Amino acid sequence: MKRWLAPVLPYLAIIGLTAGIVIADRPFWIQLMIGICITAVLALAWDMLSRTGQVSLGMAAFFGIGTYTTALVDPVAGAVAAWTAVVLVCAVAAILLGLLTLRLRHMYFAIATLGFSLSLQVLVTAFPDITGGAGGVAPALLAGGEPRWQLVAISGLLLLATATSDILLTRRFRPAFFMIRSKSELAAASGVPVVRSKIMAFILSGIYAGLAGACYGGLYGYVVPGDVFNSNWSIMPLAIAILGGMDTTAGPLLGAFVLRALEELARAWIGGIGYQVVYGAVIIAFVLALPRGLIGFVTKLVRRDTKGDAHPRLQEGRVKS
Amino acid sequence: MDLSVVGQTLLLALTIAGLYAAIASGLTLEFGVMRIVNFAHGEFVMLGAFITYFLETRYGLNPLFGAAVSGVAMLTLSWLVYDTFLWRILREDEHNQILATLGLSILIVNLAMILWGPDARVMHAPDLLPPLRLGAITIPGNNTVIFIVGVLLVAGLVFFMKQTRYGLLLRLASDDATLAAYTGVNVNAMFRLSFIIGGFTAGVSGGLVALVLYVHPLVGTDLVIRAFAIVALGGLGSIGGSLIGAAILSAAESLVGTFVPGGGSWGYGIAFLLIVIVLAVRPLGLFGSEQRS
Amino acid sequence: MSASVIEVESVIVAFGGLRALDSVSVAMGSNRITGLIGPNGSGKSTLVNAISGQIPATAGTIRVDGRDVTRMRSDRIVQLGLARTFQTPRFPPQLTVEEIVAVPLIYGRGAGLFLPGLRTAADVAGFCGLGTRRLVTCQNLTVTEMRRLEIARALACGPSVLLLDEVMAGLSHADSIEVMELIREVKRAGVTVVIIEHLMRVITSLCDDLIVLNNGKLLAHGSPSVVLADDAVREAYLGKGFKV
Repeated sequence: MKRWLAPVLPYLAIIGLTAGIVIADRPFWIQLMIGICITAVLALAWDMLSRTGQVSLGMAAFFGIGTYTTALVDPVAGAVAAWTAVVLVCAVAAILLGLLTLRLRHMYFAIATLGFSLSLQVLVTAFPDITGGAGGVAPALLAGGEPRWQLVAISGLLLLATATSDILLTRRFRPAFFMIRSKSELAAASGVPVVRSKIMAFILSGIYAGLAGACYGGLYGYVVPGDVFNSNWSIMPLAIAILGGMDTTAGPLLGAFVLRALEELARAWIGGIGYQVVYGAVIIAFVLALPRGLIGFVTKLVRRDTKGDAHPRLQEGRVKS
Repeated sequence: MDLSVVGQTLLLALTIAGLYAAIASGLTLEFGVMRIVNFAHGEFVMLGAFITYFLETRYGLNPLFGAAVSGVAMLTLSWLVYDTFLWRILREDEHNQILATLGLSILIVNLAMILWGPDARVMHAPDLLPPLRLGAITIPGNNTVIFIVGVLLVAGLVFFMKQTRYGLLLRLASDDATLAAYTGVNVNAMFRLSFIIGGFTAGVSGGLVALVLYVHPLVGTDLVIRAFAIVALGGLGSIGGSLIGAAILSAAESLVGTFVPGGGSWGYGIAFLLIVIVLAVRPLGLFGSEQRS
Repeated sequence: MSASVIEVESVIVAFGGLRALDSVSVAMGSNRITGLIGPNGSGKSTLVNAISGQIPATAGTIRVDGRDVTRMRSDRIVQLGLARTFQTPRFPPQLTVEEIVAVPLIYGRGAGLFLPGLRTAADVAGFCGLGTRRLVTCQNLTVTEMRRLEIARALACGPSVLLLDEVMAGLSHADSIEVMELIREVKRAGVTVVIIEHLMRVITSLCDDLIVLNNGKLLAHGSPSVVLADDAVREAYLGKGFKV
């Protein structure tokens, strides 16, 4: 593969697919692509955070915060204010949660973030006067409700997320983040401002998850708490990023495409209840067969062609907690 | 505030805590020995619950025996799972391990949904013990049973780990698997042992679940999330700590659920908020110790 | 007497009831190689951790180049010009030698400061004998190479003070001689070096001064010949009644 093509490919793919689907104007493909893009944004957001060693099970929290923020701000202050509010509220929430969980190690961090998102769901249901409670809420409609423009907007968000992920994989950030993950004292002893870096990753992750949530809520202009504060929105990004290939930009993207496609197939084949069983089976099969994710597998194939790596041992080393 | 209502709430919560602790201790054991977070643990509980439920409703089998059967069944299933794919996962990256057990969990939950549907079932079992009356407080007999069995399970596990030869080997394997292997311990066998014991406790706990809670495919997920919280509160590696963690979580849940209007589902969320805060102050849980290498 | 670049005043580091450092006061001279020795558990690593900011001192003051660094964050201490190595650096397996060495170059204060000719990650890697292994990922390095990498990483911080935590452990004789020469070159460039060590031949051939710790307390401080002949020091290491 040409050296310049690989980094640009994700952007071309996103733009190309979006353009094609918008032109074709078939509702099924539009909705499918919207779903893929939203999931991909979440997966990228999760991966950005996990590069600093913060393995989150709380993406759903920010997803829901995004939805509810537009719902609460839009009627009062208009669309621009609503979307700005999403960014600000998610940033603040990320800073708070990030500081609270700063010293937590892997499993505890995951539990704490999971707990945070579960509490939010309950708290939202508990204050119906403010949040509409179990009855739901009306987020700001995205792009006037027109599906093709919604897809364009969401694709735009995905492009931003992709670019952010790529920036965080450049020389300035990638090694520093990995060092924080492996042994944060080592990073600090190399001059890396660990706390600031971790919080920054948290903020970016939270903002993108929130924006994805706001877009999701804006698809139909109505959601109930269970739609967005659902642990599925926490588990799927994790699964997709890992299966697609962690620590990359292409991995979460590819994973989102492949897994959402599989999910749709399974839904068609098995029906509404229990179709996710295929999901579970696929995850297990992937972990056994492709331990470095789809991207790892693809890279291996490409390497074999170009004989790049002198060491055939491609087994990933253990990431210590 | 009526003290007897507080008392009733707390004592009932205590009985449920016995169940929670039994579930959490299996998780703690598995994590302590294999360093793996078994997200599918709750699903073994759920399967155990269904087994006990079916045995009772179709064959009239006493739920205590049903729980024992569930325990053995889940022990066997765990053995199968370990030998077919889990042992391979243990050599993988941490993230792949999390994903693998998550995948297993999703697989089992959805299989259950397909087989038995999402509806909740109730096992109308007779009281195994007469209700306990303390003044104005009444504890249903079956609650007392789950408390006793739950605590026995946890105590049994602690005894096993501290006083038996296999327990010692398990602790060796958990402390430093590489070193243990060099001293001749069959580490793989020890990992398998911890997993099947975990499965056994999950199965028995499932039987207890059928006794006092609704039986449905998602009951395991609900419970295992609480189990994680308990493990975090009590501190990883401390099986006994899970008793205290369970008591705290259950009490918090029940108190909020009883005394806050409309707080029925609050308890869950408030309890979790508590955990986030506890972990913020004590990052290793209330009784956690520095993790061994 | 050369100026003191590290001043430790009555520092206590306590973990619960245990005092890893019990009111230690000592100064380390500028542009000298000071050896930090003592039996296991005497507090050597704790002292280094306290100076470099990994562990906060419970009481007392630590000054580096006159600046009070007692409760400073370790990344800020790096900016002031103090770098350290770790006994067990856990490098991310997928990063290359060059990527690791580049991190302090980006976040620290620049390598060229005290070691002229070292500007890029490649320069620093080459200086530490890893020139040909620049693009190799950490998971494919030998233990010795990882040791060199850790030194390179610390040097890339551009330090005027370098703390080395048992860098010789497990090295072959030939490798340890190379590393010792590296340390001497670093000193020649004006850097102050503090080295935790167990190997006697390294201590005697390398160190200008010796600090001996025992049970968290300062036992002796002075030139190697004097300190090593001290009875109390011998007793701490070898036990009472051992005649050499």
